Amino acid sequence: MTRDELLSMTKKELAALARESDISGRSTMTKAALIDALAQHGEPIGEEEPGLGRAGGVAIPGVAPQDRVEARARRDALYERLKNFIDAGVHCEWKSIEGYPCGLPVLVGTARCGLHGDGAIADRAIPLTGRLGFDTWPRLWRHLSLVTYDVDAFGLDPVIAEMAWHVLNMLYFDYFRVEVEGIENVPMEGGALIVANHGGAALPYDAAMLSLAVLNEADIPRRVRVIGTEIFNMLPVVSHLYRKVGAAYAVRADARELLRRGHLLGVFPEGERGFMKPVWEAYRVGRLGRGGFAELAEEASAPIVPVAIVGSEEVHPAVMVSKRLAKLVRVFFPEQRVEEIAIALNPIPLPIRWHIRFLPPVLPSSPQQHLDALDQLERSEDIRRTIQAALDDILSKRRTAF
Amino acid sequence: MHVLYPCVASREARRGTEMSTGRYPVSVGVVLLSSMMQRVLITGAASWTGGHLVRHLETRPDLEVSAVDDRDPVVEFEADFQRLSLDRLTLARYVLEVEPEVVIHLQAVHPTSEHGRSAEAEERILGSLALFGAIERLDTVRHVIVKSDTAFYGASPRNPSVLSESTRPQGTPSRFQRDLTEMERFIVQATIRHPDIAFTVLRFAPIFGPRVGNPISRYLTLPVVPTLMGFDPRLQFIHEDDAVSALEHALDHPVSGTFNIAGGGQLYLSRILRLGRRIPQPLPGRLFEGALGGLSRAGIDVPNHLRGLLKHGRITDTTAMSEIFGFEPRYTCRQTALHAYGYKEETS
Repeated sequence: MTRDELLSMTKKELAALARESDISGRSTMTKAALIDALAQHGEPIGEEEPGLGRAGGVAIPGVAPQDRVEARARRDALYERLKNFIDAGVHCEWKSIEGYPCGLPVLVGTARCGLHGDGAIADRAIPLTGRLGFDTWPRLWRHLSLVTYDVDAFGLDPVIAEMAWHVLNMLYFDYFRVEVEGIENVPMEGGALIVANHGGAALPYDAAMLSLAVLNEADIPRRVRVIGTEIFNMLPVVSHLYRKVGAAYAVRADARELLRRGHLLGVFPEGERGFMKPVWEAYRVGRLGRGGFAELAEEASAPIVPVAIVGSEEVHPAVMVSKRLAKLVRVFFPEQRVEEIAIALNPIPLPIRWHIRFLPPVLPSSPQQHLDALDQLERSEDIRRTIQAALDDILSKRRTAF
Repeated sequence: MHVLYPCVASREARRGTEMSTGRYPVSVGVVLLSSMMQRVLITGAASWTGGHLVRHLETRPDLEVSAVDDRDPVVEFEADFQRLSLDRLTLARYVLEVEPEVVIHLQAVHPTSEHGRSAEAEERILGSLALFGAIERLDTVRHVIVKSDTAFYGASPRNPSVLSESTRPQGTPSRFQRDLTEMERFIVQATIRHPDIAFTVLRFAPIFGPRVGNPISRYLTLPVVPTLMGFDPRLQFIHEDDAVSALEHALDHPVSGTFNIAGGGQLYLSRILRLGRRIPQPLPGRLFEGALGGLSRAGIDVPNHLRGLLKHGRITDTTAMSEIFGFEPRYTCRQTALHAYGYKEETS
């Protein structure tokens, strides 16, 4: 049966056909998935575009079918790689005081699973079951509901972070189709600062995509602990969720502590001003705060990895940046320190094709060589220029934003 | 760890008494002290923690315990107990009369401060002021242990994720926090004036356990727990038994300084309630306040400073506790919660 014929049938008819063709367990399948399955069942694969049938699901406006095939391939490659970190044959022998056994597979080379190991899960986000997927959620949920593990000092909940990873991968692979360059510049060991340009106007998509870029592309899926403004601490729901997925509050004590523990620290020194950039200023990197991040890196003698992110500043093109609206918000929420509010016209993000380029790290100076305040300002300005140059380079090479 | 009284001798020397040979080597000081009978004064002995501390200490042959409080003890003990007002000069007079070597000051801030009932600002810490005055006048006191609270840091969205002892609190302070700050300032001043007295300030995380019966324990063990909608604070506890052991440890290991005392790990409020099989009832701001007000009228008093805690949470850094103070709690936060909710199993 051809695809066109299948498309003209109702879901009920499709389901009946699926049962006849012995494609069982189909009751939860969407119509599109049923069509894909039946089309593949009836004819040898390869007549239509290779692998397109497997992409299945709902078509995303603005995303070409070929992109979905590619996303599928990237996702498969990632899952294949993630498997190597888990020894599926051996199970963790941890048992809670109440007597609940753990039952998760162990990390390769250790005797414990990620949750009950030595706390390395705070740095290395290795999927607890060796896979990502909704089918692993019941096992994860069990640990969540029995509270079998501790969160880390900043409130990272590895289980919720893993669920968020899986969900956000849809944005990463299928919607934003993030392309990553220079991932080898991210150190796989020890603390480092990752400094990127900021944008988004509505939600910090760039923080999520930056973290996912390291999780999905690097040799070891290391967490990027992004630090965010105090507004995150004040907003309902966000206030705990942002911590559970591994972010922290942008205060010097937190940043210092994260680096001391040897995490990858993600910072957006442009801050709120960068986030609220109007569309005509997109990809013009603003002042990187007061260069405090350079000082932090110097203190912890950690390398700084500059990152250029193309895509974040266009997903919600801000057509207006209002100080008056911010004033109004402050009247009702006096504890919020908002200066400006950007107004975008699209409630859902545009399907921009993202491009993230990790630039060669700026190494800390030797202990003998003391950097004074001016050196640090200069270093921060240098990094700003590097990011700007990389952004310009990426933008000049790309043909279309979508 | 042996941190001792290197200054005991020097203080005697300064005052021109019989010990005039100057500063003793530290080890000598220990031998002398451990062989002596120590008089210990405990304020706030009527509370659960105070009562159990007295019961621990009264069995020890090297200690002579006097206990003071302004209400009847909730825990029975045999040591000498004086019921007198803690916010009057009577306390100071009593201290001068007892001439203790060690003062364990548990009632550093009057409970009216915590419970937000009316009391004059001065009155709430008058007891501490009078006590520190008496301590400074006495020659005998070598060690003062003060029970403070991590409420000292307040609960502000601008606080760092992990609070160390030197963190400056952010945000508008609650009344309890203001009183704690002021009380700790007395101690700083006293430390400067009397470097020979060891002042140990212990900032306790909320004490939680099956028997302690303090507001947070009663709140968390309600069958249906009102929580603030959209907020899931990170909390840290110290087990009730660990709180008593920490005070006893401070008595045996006099280290000058301020230490956060909390069990290992931390828990989100939602996780705690799940551990205890309690039903969380998220309520929006106003209704939450109303529910807590209702609980207060029903006899479960949730003090004002805990309301901030239940919104923003508070996690303190306990490295100084384990490395300098040398105390290791027996229960982690998770074990504390389990124990408080009635799990009998031995901790691992």
